[in-house]
Amino acid sequence: MINFRQIIHKFFPKQETVDTVDVDNLRLVFRERYAYFKQLISANNKALEIMAEIEGALQGNRPFGMAFVRACVTSASVSVFQMVDNLQRLAPEKYDALTPRFNAISQQINAMMGRERKALDERLVIVLDDIDKDMVDLVGSKMANLGEMKNRLGLRVPSGFVITAFAYDRFLAHNDLKAEIDRLMQSADLDDIENLYRLHARLDKLIVQSEMPPDLATAIRDAWDVMAAPHGPGLTAAMRSSALGEDEKGSSFAGLHRSELNVSGDYLLNAYKQIVASKYSLPAITYRLNKGFRDEDIAMCVGCLAMLDTVAGGVMYSRNPFDLNDRNIVINSAWGLPKAVVDGSVDGDLFVVDRHRPQRIVQREIRPKERRFTCYPEEGVCRLDIMDDALRHRASLEDAQALALAATAVQLEDHYGAPQDIEWATDQQGEICILQCRPLLQMPSRAPSSDSPLNLVQGDSVLLAGGITACPGIAVGPIHRVDSGLDMLAFPQGAILLTREAHPRWASLLTRAAGVITAHGSFTGHLANVAREFELPALFGVPDVLENLQPGTLITLDAGNRAIHAGRIEVLLASSPPKTSLMVGSPVYETLAQVGRLIVPLNLLDPDDAEFAPANCRTLHDITRFIHEKSVHEMFHFGRDHHFNERSSKQLYFHAPMQWWILNLDDGFKEEVRGKYIRLDNIASIPMLAFWDGFAAIPWDGPPALDGKGLMAVMFQSTANPALTPGVRSRYADRNYFMISKHYCNLNSRLGYHFSTLEALVSDRTPENYIGFQFKGGAADDRRRINRIQFIAELLEETNFRASVKEDNLIARIEGFEKAYMLDRIKILGYLTLHTRQLDMIMTNRSMVDFYRSKMQKDIRSLTDASSKESGAP
Amino acid sequence: MSEPMTVLFVDDEPDFLQTLLKRMRKRSVNASGVGSGEEALVHLAQSPADVVVLDVRMPGMGGIETLRAIKKKTPLTEVVMLTGHASLEVAREGMENGAFDYLMKPVDIDDLLYKIQDAFHKKTIQEAKIKTLNMMLKSESSPTG
Repeated sequence: MINFRQIIHKFFPKQETVDTVDVDNLRLVFRERYAYFKQLISANNKALEIMAEIEGALQGNRPFGMAFVRACVTSASVSVFQMVDNLQRLAPEKYDALTPRFNAISQQINAMMGRERKALDERLVIVLDDIDKDMVDLVGSKMANLGEMKNRLGLRVPSGFVITAFAYDRFLAHNDLKAEIDRLMQSADLDDIENLYRLHARLDKLIVQSEMPPDLATAIRDAWDVMAAPHGPGLTAAMRSSALGEDEKGSSFAGLHRSELNVSGDYLLNAYKQIVASKYSLPAITYRLNKGFRDEDIAMCVGCLAMLDTVAGGVMYSRNPFDLNDRNIVINSAWGLPKAVVDGSVDGDLFVVDRHRPQRIVQREIRPKERRFTCYPEEGVCRLDIMDDALRHRASLEDAQALALAATAVQLEDHYGAPQDIEWATDQQGEICILQCRPLLQMPSRAPSSDSPLNLVQGDSVLLAGGITACPGIAVGPIHRVDSGLDMLAFPQGAILLTREAHPRWASLLTRAAGVITAHGSFTGHLANVAREFELPALFGVPDVLENLQPGTLITLDAGNRAIHAGRIEVLLASSPPKTSLMVGSPVYETLAQVGRLIVPLNLLDPDDAEFAPANCRTLHDITRFIHEKSVHEMFHFGRDHHFNERSSKQLYFHAPMQWWILNLDDGFKEEVRGKYIRLDNIASIPMLAFWDGFAAIPWDGPPALDGKGLMAVMFQSTANPALTPGVRSRYADRNYFMISKHYCNLNSRLGYHFSTLEALVSDRTPENYIGFQFKGGAADDRRRINRIQFIAELLEETNFRASVKEDNLIARIEGFEKAYMLDRIKILGYLTLHTRQLDMIMTNRSMVDFYRSKMQKDIRSLTDASSKESGAP
Repeated sequence: MSEPMTVLFVDDEPDFLQTLLKRMRKRSVNASGVGSGEEALVHLAQSPADVVVLDVRMPGMGGIETLRAIKKKTPLTEVVMLTGHASLEVAREGMENGAFDYLMKPVDIDDLLYKIQDAFHKKTIQEAKIKTLNMMLKSESSPTG
């Protein structure tokens, strides 16, 4: 491409006046410069918006994923790149020092983003005999703990092997899945459950249809052959997810990933892919997002274990999850596979065991067990209704077994040094086998009352009482009944989820629901686990609840006291503590916080300071601040330096010459002006005219004595009279400079002590509209001037600006509103520019401050009311 | 208002591409679409576009490679990268190879249109400049003074 700038000097030499040169050519040069400038300004805006978004996200009130972090970082970096590029076009070679600074910061950011999990061990499968708890990073915590129990504690666990994290990486790489997954995650709007569902469906299909790497397929088949050999034909497997990240910092991922039971040898590879795909199940995506897990950190390892011939199974807690002081062991048990208990589909038997020796059963509740899960003879799992009355009402666990289980719970708790959540099964010989153990999340809140349901909270408001506390707490909302996936899609934010079984498939609703009520299920199930992690009030197994609670009814759920009240009970609500943020401290949050430190803070404040230089830019914000300042400077001086009259600044003429100097960037004047003055009625710049309207709307009453010449006199006097503008004097000091185009204006003004800049872009492109305002109020040690800045900041915030004050600097911004609204904001700034002048004098006088505040609030209302009447708005 | 510009959209996701084309045409943009980098080059050779909106990750010829090829053949064509691939490195590579902007999906349709209009504006200025330069060079080399 031809380098225009090199040729410019041919026909545009600095020393000559340019009357001899074709004015059209010059206009073209200026048009091009303005186009660069506009791109720079628009990139600056985008960068500032992203910084505000990062700051917002770091408040930790809403979930976000790595896709969000990557998008923020990438757009911030692209925007700053554009700014550097366009400034270098405006002033070639002058700002070359910016490039190495920008590169250095980008590299630092990139290094933080690129932190990747590296598998240190390249085995694709590892047999359980070779695994212990130190191998969490290779096989996931679920399988690492199983190996630990088998090899270090000598407990009975199923035999088997693990398909490792390295195998998972291998599978992804073989199909180039990582980038595609990231792409789909980024493009999806994760706030919307329908979109989430679509995302899940696409990812699931993508993974299931992917090819197994041949070496991985071989490794799995070989390991299976070795494992199956001693058992003879007919052995089937339980394929269980064991993802990295599970059980980290109180995150169980309980029931969110898939387990395939009773899998035959031919189906292993398919089952493997199904389980890998379950990383993107609806509940798993929602869970990771809300708990701030980095998608790339969660490698899916899969355990392949020999299927047991199970008689009964369930879950055991080595402590009470709701009460730190209750050291009893709790066992939930049902006929068949433990699945019945963890899926919350059966109200299992309850055993409570005193851990102190001699251990004894202190509570035993044998509940009618309607169903059991058993294996089909060939493959898959079957849910059977229990028809046999005797079996249904018989204890699924003998006392001796319960005591043996309790002994194991104590052993495990001692070994791991923390309370444990244990999944177990008994076989035909009555022997106990441990299937899983993980840390038990204990809640600090008080235990629910263990009295009989009759002693529950009394009162007229109680609709229903009973059930089992799965997570204590108070929630208010309308009942929303969910029986199917379709009901899930229609689930309104803040409703109370009512469903038959406490199945983990509903976990994806827990971030939208205010509370959960189920007809079946126990507090040891997976859904209960997740509810506790989200601190979501949950009451399970409430008798006859489906028949007695109508959808849409507003209720207050008191899960801790096992009561459902009609309507909204304020007393209860007031007593419930605020939830803790799940995002703060999470891996995703920390990544954003870390890169945010290289993007958001602003260190370069004062353009007059010698430190205001590329070498001192430490963040992307510093670079944008520097470039913005310099670009305005470059634009302003170019016309003058090149003696191009038409693009040199003109003095505003309104009844008399004003101390306002105006540079037309492009289409800021109605017609071109070659003389010294520009008349107000020739100004076409919409934002500048709005500023003028606000400036001229209401006469200024002071400071102290006014000689009665009116508004014009004041303006002239204050901008030209040396007596009113003491302080630093430079060519810059006593003038107001405007750079304008039809939709843009940039005002630099230095009035006495204070220095302000206003920049605005206002057009029908609503999303691009913005106003930025900066005010620097003089000496930082002067309490009164800082008070004045605070005073202005408050007024601006009342009118919807975002304002922040740092030392004696005020920065205010507003963006994205439609034209009329934006122009009103500019009017307010015009008004404040005039009326806050010398207000610092009264800042120590409280009643004067109050007087001026209410006067200004009234003036601002009248300013904006007038224009909304004009435009016909209500 | 009808835009006097032509825009080519390149994306390997047919659903996304079709929706985008439909929405752009509703806004009176003269828009065409193709599904790969290779097709884009063939298309541009026959009917040049003012602005190309280019996906980054496509099977076959990738977005960056396509960008390079377009910029080599017709340097004045402006290219806006639009991608589900938020990567700092790829974004830089795009910008350094002369992309007008690097936008990330999902993008607001009007924001995208504004970007396309801005890119087109830049192109018209460049064209006018080249025209002027050519005229100047011609008059300089002509013997009459």
